[in-house]
Amino acid sequence: MADFTLTAAPILGGIDKAIAGNRILERDDLALVSIATPLGGDGGLAQALKSGWSLDVPDPTRSTTNGDARAIRTSPDQMLLVFPHATPDAEPHVQKMLNGAGYTTDQTDSWVVLEISGPDTMAALERLCPLDLATFDADSTGRTVMEHMGALIVKLGKDDFLLMSASSSAGSFLHAVETSYTYVT
Amino acid sequence: MSQQNRIDGGQIDRTHKLSFSFNGKFMTGYQGDTLASALLANGQRLVGRSFKYHRPRGIFTAGSEEPNALVQLRDGAAQEPNTRATTVELFDGLVATSQNHRGSLEHDLMAANDLLSPFLSAGFYYKTFMWPKAFWEKLYEPMIRASAGLGRLSMQEDPDVYDHGYLHCDLLVIGAGPAGLSGALAAARAGLRVILADEDFTPGGRLNAETYEVDGQSGADWAASAVAELAAMDNVRIMTRTTVYGAYDHGIYGVLERCTDHLKDSAGKPRQVLWRLYTQRALLTAGATERSIAFGANDRPGIMMAGAVRTYVNRFGVAPGQKVAVFTNNDDGLRTAEDLKTKGVEITRIIDARNGDTVVNTTGRHGIHTVHLNNNRHIEADCLAVSGGWSPNVHLTCHHRDRPTWNADIAGFVPAGDLPPGMTVAGAANGAMTLAAAIVDAHTKAARIAADLGTSKAPGDPAKASDETFATAPFWHVGESKKRAWVDLQNDVTTKDVKQSHKEGFRSVEHLKRYTTLGMATDQGKTANILGLAIMAEAAGQSIQDTGTTIFRPPYNPVAIGAFAGRARGKDFRPYRLTPSHKWAEENGADFVETGNWLRAQWFKQPGEKGWRDSVDREAAQTRKSVGICDVTTLGKIDIQGSDAATFLNRIYANAFLKLPVGKVRYGLMLREDGICYDDGTTARLAENHFVMTTTTANAVTVFRNMEFARQCLWPDLDVHFISTTDGWAQFAVAGPNSRALLSKVVDDLDLSNEGFPFMACAECTVFGGTPARLFRISFSGEMAFEIAVPARFGDAMIRGLMAAGEEYDAVPYGTEALGVMRIEKGHAAGNELTGQTTAQMLGLGGMVSKKKDSVGSKLSERDGMNQDDDLRLVGFKPVDRSILLTAGAHFLTPGDPADMTHDQGWMTSVAYSPELGHSVGLGYLKRGKERIGEQVRAYSPVRNQDIMVEVCSPHHIDPEGERQRG
Repeated sequence: MADFTLTAAPILGGIDKAIAGNRILERDDLALVSIATPLGGDGGLAQALKSGWSLDVPDPTRSTTNGDARAIRTSPDQMLLVFPHATPDAEPHVQKMLNGAGYTTDQTDSWVVLEISGPDTMAALERLCPLDLATFDADSTGRTVMEHMGALIVKLGKDDFLLMSASSSAGSFLHAVETSYTYVT
Repeated sequence: MSQQNRIDGGQIDRTHKLSFSFNGKFMTGYQGDTLASALLANGQRLVGRSFKYHRPRGIFTAGSEEPNALVQLRDGAAQEPNTRATTVELFDGLVATSQNHRGSLEHDLMAANDLLSPFLSAGFYYKTFMWPKAFWEKLYEPMIRASAGLGRLSMQEDPDVYDHGYLHCDLLVIGAGPAGLSGALAAARAGLRVILADEDFTPGGRLNAETYEVDGQSGADWAASAVAELAAMDNVRIMTRTTVYGAYDHGIYGVLERCTDHLKDSAGKPRQVLWRLYTQRALLTAGATERSIAFGANDRPGIMMAGAVRTYVNRFGVAPGQKVAVFTNNDDGLRTAEDLKTKGVEITRIIDARNGDTVVNTTGRHGIHTVHLNNNRHIEADCLAVSGGWSPNVHLTCHHRDRPTWNADIAGFVPAGDLPPGMTVAGAANGAMTLAAAIVDAHTKAARIAADLGTSKAPGDPAKASDETFATAPFWHVGESKKRAWVDLQNDVTTKDVKQSHKEGFRSVEHLKRYTTLGMATDQGKTANILGLAIMAEAAGQSIQDTGTTIFRPPYNPVAIGAFAGRARGKDFRPYRLTPSHKWAEENGADFVETGNWLRAQWFKQPGEKGWRDSVDREAAQTRKSVGICDVTTLGKIDIQGSDAATFLNRIYANAFLKLPVGKVRYGLMLREDGICYDDGTTARLAENHFVMTTTTANAVTVFRNMEFARQCLWPDLDVHFISTTDGWAQFAVAGPNSRALLSKVVDDLDLSNEGFPFMACAECTVFGGTPARLFRISFSGEMAFEIAVPARFGDAMIRGLMAAGEEYDAVPYGTEALGVMRIEKGHAAGNELTGQTTAQMLGLGGMVSKKKDSVGSKLSERDGMNQDDDLRLVGFKPVDRSILLTAGAHFLTPGDPADMTHDQGWMTSVAYSPELGHSVGLGYLKRGKERIGEQVRAYSPVRNQDIMVEVCSPHHIDPEGERQRG
């Protein structure tokens, strides 16, 4: 089968959709790698993250950024590193930089990542997101549930958010986001 | 009709004329009208028929407390019954019809019920339809059901859409009357994030209905300017057409916003949005509701609350009558007369109960014509404005089970001390019944809330207003009335019903409600409850405080079921999870089944196959003959890492995992704390400190949650972390004698021989020239089998690649049904066998529960009751007559024993037709099963009318020695 190679397919086909001046974009260019802190290894991981990625370890509900890379706090002793990376070797790539300072798991294929932006974004999110987004500033994050689906939300800037949810229900998640925009515009 | 009752003034837009129809009659109104005000403007006094007696009824109030004027709104599928005309905002093209009559509204055939009223008193149906017994189900109940209810549903699917949403604020102000506006202004000026909600489409509450002055301008103008000031502040959100219907836990309020009810067409947008509102504090400024007085024939069209009369006159520019009489027990009634006089409406009489004057009866066919007084005088009137005083709207204060307390000064219940946390009550809702008092009360309380929440900005000064006179004397019903006097107009409950209920021994107010139906249905007795309580108190010779109230529960006003459902209807009822091969499966004839939220292919139909069995038999047979491929992505996958990962797994699983070698997979059994088996699966050791666990599809979340609990709470000293990777990997089972040959074409540079990659081996590898993958040699079918996983983004390409590679072996895709057939043939336990009462012993896996270590559930699994030799054991079954299909759920009986639970020997858990063996096979639990191999027992299923003999056999119907999977 040497003539057969596998081609990666974005979960939502790389959707880039406009709804009344708002944009829903699948960020299939991003790789996601979870990093867990070894017991008692907080200092070592912080140092490795700093030297490898020039990133600080994020506090709960926060993310830290350096250029295109972003570390998002997701749970006790765990964060998610998000960065542009095309090939399916994000985890060894991160692990090489950390050199054992953290436990890493590739999460790229576990999540669908949507960037949503535009003037009606806050109104659309009111129909989806139980969190108080008025208290969010840039780089704020939250774990929550949207339309019965677990989700992670990151504020990138004014009217600009990253939404992440399980890749298996990506179609339902996109439908929920589209419906919200449609209902408020 | 020509709006003959329209008078000058009001807040309607006379430049914007609207057409609507009522019972097919076309009428006109203006922008700013409600349906009720427009009907009155057109002289339409009769708008409906009463619930029980089908008495003619008109418009009684001007708000959401309306008991009478219920109409069917719109037509076709959008028809909505029991809509209160007093809250319906008029729009062009509105269609309304009256309800609860047979024949025309004017000539209702069911009006004969009124003549039968002596037989239809409170609780009549408890006493009347007792015999003959057989008639209840066949005749009485259908007859009562046909008569019950008011409006009719369209019986078509609701064409509108609804939505849910989430709101947050520092202070929720409930009600935008004078108190609400005052409180919102203070809080907003002080810097709080404020949401101001009001059910009306124009904020202002009674300010729009009265002629008061505030800050030197008309109340309505002040309200408009206050709203303008609030709307200009970015920390304020004003929500009109919005009802706060419930106070729930933790500062959460249920809020219904009616977004398009005032429009002819929703244009695809949600008709209503049900908001879950989170707030630090709430200021309840819901005002008060005027109540009636019970006197003879007090239900005729044209008899309405005095406050409502003022609303129609002052806000809507409508005279509810040409000759108006006023019956009152307080100063508010007198104000009605003044306002009407100012507008040039003739006042025929003011009847003040405080002077000993009362109304004993009214007459008039489809509306009031004459008022009969207790001094035998008759007064001509086409409208009788009644005021029995005002009741504070305490409903939301009681949603956490507080009971209000009686305040004799205002003759009404006021909130007691035990309010929902964070709630403050101000204005008339708190018993501050006059304008200036309400404004100052709300301002002061809002400012205090702002200070409590740490704002430093000034709340400003409260608006200035005068306190009107407020003198009231409790007066509930006219004792000398000989005619029926209605307490609850919506449910046709009279003073006699209340007294009779007491006479028949119903002492609790809650019993009074259930027996008489007082206070039920759409209005929840807002104008009636206090009257009923007072009359009951009088009958019992006790105070109203001692009589108490029924409990107020959400919702404050009716909420459409559609709004509660929101988007969750049809295919959007819940999210769907799709496997990475879903698109390919669709293209290849897959029939899908819901397993949890997942959609899984249950079989792939081929041309010429007549039913599902044809497909399933073919898939199972071909897999055993050559090779089959099944998407098993849905199984839970948990990535486990850490220097203590092996120790952790050793404690989670009942069997040993500490010494599992790298590159090996082990079957594991998980017990609950009580020793019952709840999940099984495999765990692979990819590296010294790196494991990948597989759980059942159904228990993926439960297992993860239990493990997280153990990690954080039981053993926080262990260095172990895990994260779900269920969705991250597209995983395929490749099973059958040619599975190795197929995979040898797919997997790069890995020795798949039995020596190089034996049963229960695992490895990280690449496929198709470099795509990362994981390979496990595990089998659920009993065949030589592998599971191969690639990152989900390659899942679609992978299934196409596997099928292409398998073409030379006639590889088949197989679905969950064939998977089930093969696991039953092999004797593997699955969901049917894990009942929540299943022990390891029952599964024949008692030996797996290690005694050499401690693990979750191991100690309690040693209890005597779970380890008895005569207990149920999993064994196999086949029909003695091989042509018969077995039935799952059948119970086993020893031949000759009666079919009862005393002689029950166990039950059949799973059955399948085995294409390999050519007959039906089953698994089940049988008492002392292992000792009874070869015995014949009855499989008895009265549900499916089957009683057959089955032979007890090994659960491993095929390859009991496991040669195939190890080969």
